Amino acid sequence: MSQPISTPSRSARNRTRPPVITGLGVVAPNGQGAERFWKAVQRGDSVLRPVTRDGCTHLPLKVAGEIDGFDPSALIDGRFLVQTDRFTHFAMAAAEMAVQDARLTVDPERPFAIGVVTAAGSGGGEFGQGELQQLWDKGPSFVGPYQSIAWFYAASTGQISIRGGFRGPCGVLANDEAGGLDALAHAARTIRRGTDAVVVGATEAPLAPYSVVCQLGYPELSLSDDPQRAYLPFTTDACGFAPAEGGAMFVLEDPEAAQARGARPLATVAGHASNFTGTDGWSHSRQGLARAVRDALDEAQCSAREVDVVFADALGVPEADQAEALAIADALGPRAATVPVTAPKTGFGRAYSASSALDVATAVLALEHGVVPPTPNVTGVRHDLDVVTGEARTASLRTALVLSRGLMGCNSALVLRSAHGDER
Amino acid sequence: MNGPVTFDELAELMKARAGLSVDPREMERRPEATFADFDLDSLGLLGIVAELEKRHGRSIGNEAEGCKSPHAFLENVNNQLSAAGV
Repeated sequence: MSQPISTPSRSARNRTRPPVITGLGVVAPNGQGAERFWKAVQRGDSVLRPVTRDGCTHLPLKVAGEIDGFDPSALIDGRFLVQTDRFTHFAMAAAEMAVQDARLTVDPERPFAIGVVTAAGSGGGEFGQGELQQLWDKGPSFVGPYQSIAWFYAASTGQISIRGGFRGPCGVLANDEAGGLDALAHAARTIRRGTDAVVVGATEAPLAPYSVVCQLGYPELSLSDDPQRAYLPFTTDACGFAPAEGGAMFVLEDPEAAQARGARPLATVAGHASNFTGTDGWSHSRQGLARAVRDALDEAQCSAREVDVVFADALGVPEADQAEALAIADALGPRAATVPVTAPKTGFGRAYSASSALDVATAVLALEHGVVPPTPNVTGVRHDLDVVTGEARTASLRTALVLSRGLMGCNSALVLRSAHGDER
Repeated sequence: MNGPVTFDELAELMKARAGLSVDPREMERRPEATFADFDLDSLGLLGIVAELEKRHGRSIGNEAEGCKSPHAFLENVNNQLSAAGV
């Protein structure tokens, strides 16, 4: 290998054009792979169902979005699987799909040109529980050494980096549900500073006994036992959210670098903003979310009128839903009453930090296909919002706004622009 | 090297503890090959030492964990076990 350090650095270049998404990979309860995921989302499939995971069925959480038939060994070498938790299996598989979709390869002359950023909310709970059980049942020598890395929030970033040879700037955001959007923003900043591409996204695997028990303390968790009624945001029947596992990974790229290698841009990450309004009642998120939307639109140099679709946070808690509806009205003005609002995750659940990453995947696919997917199971919206229910809607989509709030008080907004507009 | 720990057992442990498929005959044939050549990292070796300690009911010590090659590792481990009359 020649000296990678001496190759011309792009960091000196003034990168003003926003980065582009050139690949995506999805592992979700309603489909593995972007194509299957999109078909299910577009149809409005609801795959929420009774929890079946070992050690979880007696717990008060009754309904969740579980992933069936996930075979990581089809995509990932066994040595990476034995060292890692399910959330990292999801991340490695989704990253592999995204990298293949983008046809991204490492230039051996420039190994620092590609970085990795992930968000994670709960880390490797299932792996950690297994090793702790060994500790208490049998003793310290029965705890495997990979416990030291598998439980950790940063495990997915590290494993994707090692496995892919992506030696550029790497990071992890342990940043609540909104982390899935914030990870993309962090990756965008990394690219503006001179990195060509970042493999970025979020995955979670919270459906294991220890992890589920941890979630039982959230008053927002839905304990309904009816899959069709467990997660009904924006309705009078809202009773919390159903959790899910899975997530999405992307290849985010400098537009010139993408163009130089002939990559096809799927969408532009045009603007982002985040803030924090704490845990003292969901009504405070109104102000935070509205501010995040305004700041993200500012960065995108986008007016409220231009927003073609909103992917809502849709927590499913009446006070939080009300705050979100008001925040959309505050930030978008008259456009708030007419813009289509959707929350396809009501069909498969809320995968914590990966929930917003899956929303971004949905938004990218919606922009590409010119279709606003529906909000499964939801009817009778009680807010002054045009929530898309029942059937998907065909629409000319140029700009998508994705909203996310975390249970610990983070608010984020991301503006995506169709990449096709840039080509015209 | 005739054991008690063989290349076959080492290969089996590399599969079970580190997810690696390694041909024991290849390890045997290549005294110069390192664990790194077979993609085994230091945490993987640590897990193998822990498993052997359990199987043989005794400590195998820090030196084995620092061995760079399968040949050096088996020599170290088997010397310890033979000296103990296992």
